[in-house]
Amino acid sequence: MNTEMASSSGGTGSTDPSAPRRHSKRPKYSRFTQQELPACKPILTPQWVISAFTLISFIFIPIGVASLLASRNVVEIVYRYETDCIPINLRGDKVGYIQSTLDKNCIKMITVPKRMKHPIYVYYQLDNFYQNHRRYVKSRSDTQLRDKKKENDTSSCEPEESNGGSPIVPCGLVAWSLFNDTYSFSIKNEPLAVNKNDISWKSDRDSKFGKDVFPKNFQNGTLKGGATLNESIPLSKQEDLIVWMRTAALPTFRKLYGRIEVDLQANEVINVTLENNYNTYSFNGKKKLVLSTTSWLGGKNDFLGIAYLTVGGLCFFLALSFTVVYLVKPRKLGDPSYLSWNRNPAGH
Amino acid sequence: MGRSDSTSMEMSDRQPSSRTVRLGRLQPQAPGHRTIFCNDPEANLPVKFKGNSISTTKFNILTFLPKGLFEQFRRVANLYFLMISILSTTPISPVHPITNVVPLSLVLFVSLVKEAFEDWKRLQNDRSVNSSPIEVLQNQKWESIPWRRLQVGDIVKVKQDGFFPADLLFLASTNPDGVCYTETANLDGETNLKIRKALERTWDYLTPDKAFEFKGEIQCEQPNNSLYTFTGNLIIQKHTLPLSPNQILLRGCSLRNTAYIVGAVVFTGHETKVMMNAMSVPSKRSTMEKKLDKLILTLFSILFLMCLIGAIGSGVFIDRKYYYLGLHEGVENQFNPNNKFVVTILTMFTLLTLYSTIIPISLYVSIEMIKFIQCAQYINKDIHMYHIESNTPALARTSNLNEELGQVEYIFSDKTGTLTRNLMEFFKCSIGGEVYGTGITEIERGGAQRNGIKVEEVPRTVTAVHEKGFNFDDTRLMCGAWRNEHNPDTCKEFFRCLAICHTVLPEGDESPEKITYQAASPDEAALVAAAKNFGFFFYRRTPTTIMVRESHVEKMGSVQDISYEILNVLEFNSTRKRQSVICRYPNGRLVLYCKGADSVIFERLMDGNNDLNNSSREHLEYFGSSGLRTLCLAYKDLSNEMYESWNDKFIQAKSSLRDREKKLDEVSELIENDLILIGCTAIEDKLQEGVPSCIETLSRAGIKIWVLTGDKMETAINIAYACSLINNGMKQFIINSDTDSIREVESRGDPVETARFIRDIVKQKLKKCLEESQRSLHTLSGQKLALVIDGKCLMYALDPALRGNLLNLSLRCSSVVCCRVSPLQKAQVTSMVRKGAQKITLSIGDGANDVSMIQAAHVGIGISGMEGMQAVMASDFAIAQFRFLTDLLLVHGRWSYLRICKVVTYFFYKNLTFTLTQFWFTFHTGFSGQRFYDDWFQSLYNVIFTALPVIVVGLFDKDVSASLSKKYPELYKEGIRNTYFRWRVVAVWAFFALYQSLVLYNFVTASSKIANNLSGKMFGLWDVSTMAFTCVVVTVNIRLLMACNSITRWHHISILGSILAWFVFIYIYSGIMTPYDRQENEYHVIHIIMSTFYFYLTLLLVPVVALLGDFIYQGLQRWFFPYDYQIIQELHRNDPEVSSRAKLQEIGNQRTADEERSYAISQLPRETSKHTGFAFDSPGYESFFASQQGVYAPQKAWDVARRASMRQPKTHKRK
Repeated sequence: MNTEMASSSGGTGSTDPSAPRRHSKRPKYSRFTQQELPACKPILTPQWVISAFTLISFIFIPIGVASLLASRNVVEIVYRYETDCIPINLRGDKVGYIQSTLDKNCIKMITVPKRMKHPIYVYYQLDNFYQNHRRYVKSRSDTQLRDKKKENDTSSCEPEESNGGSPIVPCGLVAWSLFNDTYSFSIKNEPLAVNKNDISWKSDRDSKFGKDVFPKNFQNGTLKGGATLNESIPLSKQEDLIVWMRTAALPTFRKLYGRIEVDLQANEVINVTLENNYNTYSFNGKKKLVLSTTSWLGGKNDFLGIAYLTVGGLCFFLALSFTVVYLVKPRKLGDPSYLSWNRNPAGH
Repeated sequence: MGRSDSTSMEMSDRQPSSRTVRLGRLQPQAPGHRTIFCNDPEANLPVKFKGNSISTTKFNILTFLPKGLFEQFRRVANLYFLMISILSTTPISPVHPITNVVPLSLVLFVSLVKEAFEDWKRLQNDRSVNSSPIEVLQNQKWESIPWRRLQVGDIVKVKQDGFFPADLLFLASTNPDGVCYTETANLDGETNLKIRKALERTWDYLTPDKAFEFKGEIQCEQPNNSLYTFTGNLIIQKHTLPLSPNQILLRGCSLRNTAYIVGAVVFTGHETKVMMNAMSVPSKRSTMEKKLDKLILTLFSILFLMCLIGAIGSGVFIDRKYYYLGLHEGVENQFNPNNKFVVTILTMFTLLTLYSTIIPISLYVSIEMIKFIQCAQYINKDIHMYHIESNTPALARTSNLNEELGQVEYIFSDKTGTLTRNLMEFFKCSIGGEVYGTGITEIERGGAQRNGIKVEEVPRTVTAVHEKGFNFDDTRLMCGAWRNEHNPDTCKEFFRCLAICHTVLPEGDESPEKITYQAASPDEAALVAAAKNFGFFFYRRTPTTIMVRESHVEKMGSVQDISYEILNVLEFNSTRKRQSVICRYPNGRLVLYCKGADSVIFERLMDGNNDLNNSSREHLEYFGSSGLRTLCLAYKDLSNEMYESWNDKFIQAKSSLRDREKKLDEVSELIENDLILIGCTAIEDKLQEGVPSCIETLSRAGIKIWVLTGDKMETAINIAYACSLINNGMKQFIINSDTDSIREVESRGDPVETARFIRDIVKQKLKKCLEESQRSLHTLSGQKLALVIDGKCLMYALDPALRGNLLNLSLRCSSVVCCRVSPLQKAQVTSMVRKGAQKITLSIGDGANDVSMIQAAHVGIGISGMEGMQAVMASDFAIAQFRFLTDLLLVHGRWSYLRICKVVTYFFYKNLTFTLTQFWFTFHTGFSGQRFYDDWFQSLYNVIFTALPVIVVGLFDKDVSASLSKKYPELYKEGIRNTYFRWRVVAVWAFFALYQSLVLYNFVTASSKIANNLSGKMFGLWDVSTMAFTCVVVTVNIRLLMACNSITRWHHISILGSILAWFVFIYIYSGIMTPYDRQENEYHVIHIIMSTFYFYLTLLLVPVVALLGDFIYQGLQRWFFPYDYQIIQELHRNDPEVSSRAKLQEIGNQRTADEERSYAISQLPRETSKHTGFAFDSPGYESFFASQQGVYAPQKAWDVARRASMRQPKTHKRK
């Protein structure tokens, strides 16, 4: 039957089937179109899971230990003074006190708990202070800070853009609210020098704050926000301002005040003279003075170390428990009896 | 994509109009006529007919931007982002407008460029069409003018192979008899030629000087979109001549085999029928996309909730005690502590702009891109779906239904041409109550095997003939042996009926060996071929005669040519289901020969002769059960007087202007009665290659297959057996109208009574079946159910009152067969399951009668390559063979579903994670709406830093290989159950997005509280946020890698590339002072943070911690609740990667005997008709659409006579 067919089809003079067809629409083979690109197909087998956990724990625990050690080596003194520095009789009206013209000096003793190697960094730490508030963050003019010619560029500085018709340099709420508490230290009446150079990021000093831009018309308004600036020093040298103007990410923040470049011995008593000028009382903000050394990692922060150790430990624990589960209740890889249609063949 | 694709198709053909061919709803005809004065422009002037220039462009230069943008902004996501962008230009906004404008404009830009390109192509096309030359009669001369200047009433001359510039009235042709041949490939994709015949009265107007004298008046219908109808009259010198579609040449068709024709322009430009059809089919949206909308809505509510929380917080927070915020009197409303309510409202808007990234703007564009590539590169180019015999690759005509292919639960399949080959072979017959033909069909063989009976093969005798259309062996009939049978006269009538009653055109040499028959359906050709082999060789047709060379009639061996005069042809259509020819023998005998479906023939038989009728009925059943297609033949002798009186009525009906078809049917009815049965024919319809195994695979995949066919119940059941849709292990429910009781009621002739009776029967049966099915479900024996129902019962069962029962019953059945159903019922059944059961449906078919069902289903598939294009034009995907469904569904559909699910959920996750970090920050900024990230970070997050990898996953991810997908079809059930895109899956992603955002935000900020390097310096806001953003980019990119099942080098490149792109960006960005952003927040930030150890330690810690949750979840899930695909992956984890290349290259060299045969057949000159199945499957779509509209529109094929395209060199190339 088939031979007959073949002969009859041959008889009609059709083209030879084996000859290449002229207008073949046969798609070309390519790995891409046939979806056969070489690929690795990772299968998350228990072995893989366990080894991944083990690997993480082996990497994380040492890092955690190292970071924790680094953090523990840092000696940090935190002294909260916003209440201490108000005379006891005036504590009923803190805001009134801070806004008055009374003498704000306040002398306190701090004992060094442990030997602190220089450099010792002096920070102030504010709390409940929303440097990241939208209105606050944008109330500045970077062009004005950088460029002498752009001092009129204050449109973004609302509401502290100008005073009496002439622009404020530096304008804006950020600069206006510059922190103005000062600290001076002495040990046994020997003054302890605080180096206030190089406390800001170099890129800020060099590029963001002009060498020829001088403060002008600053804090001349009816409401004083914070510190005043020496009008004869260019902005690029006003490091307190530069530090302040790198606004903090969170409402609790530290800012670098200066460096003490001598070692402090354990149990030494430092005399701190605080000039308590800055008003955090309106919004119940805490003020803290911080003296801290640093490690290779930075200041005293156990967070990273603890996090690394926890994750490393957790992974180790997971690796262990997965191993136990694997031994107790193993699942054969690729066991067809797990297939859904094998589990209930009726398919309902 | 469907649009653009067909555009490209048509570009290659250099023909403008095929894109516009759509089967739309029939527009109700506008009342009134149009009157055209031919060859008289002045007379036509007052009416102001439209010109012939066309424009298919969507835009012009002026309207492009507004209109294009308008279209874009009809998408909710785009509109949303437009609003956000506008909002972000106000001072309320915490972000610079670029944050939202950049992604929006990128998305718009991409879409607009695409639109512009497509429209430009259309413009080019229109221009070349409008300026193509056409010869018009002007001052007794043919003058060439561009198409666009053509006017209604002009006389034009179209040369061979030229296209008709407008709808023309055919006046004259160079061919004798005033005929011409047209090719309608651009209208309906049929490559066979159709004959048009001019009115005899106008044949002379061929030369310019003659044509100049032509002054006719055409009264015709108003322009409408019905391609197959035309009613009008031509008035020449007070004579009214009726016009029919036969005299109309449609724009878009071309002239073949005719030197030139002359025609008068009737409809021009956009009023031509083909242009009136140029309506876009409402595009289908995938179910997934609809679910996606719900997800987006959920995101909107999350967004609203977040904004509400933040806004209330801001109202509570704002207080004058924060003096450093400068909240004096006169502060703007948003921060005015005196009016906290306004603060809350305004902050609401602020936060809306801030959190806008939660809505993934690039999602739609990405998905579109992915799907487009999937279609264009994967589906269209899959070698596994390339059919070598017909040289047809698969074709995705729409690109938005890919993932729908992965979730199909119900397949509705046509039988003829889809499951079967539509290779019709005359196989058996019954003449005068005697069965002839010794062959055994495959279905009989299969059935016997199932029952364990050995079939006795009758050895083939020398007289056996097997050629195209004829596979018959019986020594009793061949070579004139029929003369010795006991009823030679009946045999003679039988053969003459076969030779005369048809509309076949002979072609080629007038010798039995070389002639080829061109027929409207392969059945017809097979019948004529049978007549030829029995010695009644039909070799020539003229308009009024049929020439038959008869052998062995008078005595053995004698040959004589007899010419039968054809008086009338009562054409076939699907309501009549029969065809009659009235002919006059040379000796004056007047006979009506009729052939048709048994149901209609038996109704019209003369009373008496019950023995023959009953035995024939038995034979019909026997043929049917062998899977054969049957037709009954009958004749009737007419007297001259009777004929003449009838013929007057016929002519009257034929020239009526209104309801011509209906009247013709009624008149035909008058003469087609009191017939005498001659016998019946049985034609074998072979199964397509690989159908049974494909069906078995699909049913293992949890897909239920319904067969909807116009065929007889027995044939349908047997095909279902042959396809292993039904087997003896199944409990069958048969709801059949062909029972004695129903027949009895019907014979009483009261239609109302009959309807009531059948309705009751159907109701009872449905109820009974439902109960039984319930019982068998509860028995847990797991016996599968099958339902067989015929069209008449279905009509009642689809009644709203019973539909619920039918649906319940059919959903319990694993296979359903509906036989003798009309195209409309096919669509009704499809939409019953689609709407009633809310399941995803797929329809597959090859013919015009499947169009309605293809359009009614979620996914419509057309079989391409073999027959016409009607089904393909209406379909969403076109494949060459039914068996390619395995690849299309199990491989492409499944992967597409997996990928799109992954892409969507990942988009959801990455935007949620990112936005939530921003949300947590809001709590620490006094709810002021301060942005955490720089504007550019936020705007580029979606379009650069996380855009590419997800597209790569959408293209390359696959869980198991293609061969495993087919080996384990059960994997497909995950798609049917929608395992990967349920709320639970989304909730898991959302949970981990929440977890990760908490980790990302808190871990990064926690480490920034103290000095961050050796020199005691502190990070500011922007240092922290850049660090956080780095962690986010790294985390979400690696998270994607974790979601991948297979990782190609493109994964690596895109994921590493994205992370690298971020670092490159931040290096450049933090190194420059941006002139437009007055705050140089980011200046040098990356250098600062990268100079600390904190950065590196955080970068290691945060992504690991963030992803640890997902990792544990994945590990546990895989261990304890593995997905099926995961088990399969494990089973085959050590399989070597086999490329299908080597295997594929063998295709075509090694064919099985069967393939060899079908290849050989495919090389034969073939009849290229799309109207499959003579008797029952016919192009009823027109009337289907019409009846939907409540308009009566009779079916009418283009023409009965068809002609091969073999001789034309041009069409030959197409093959």
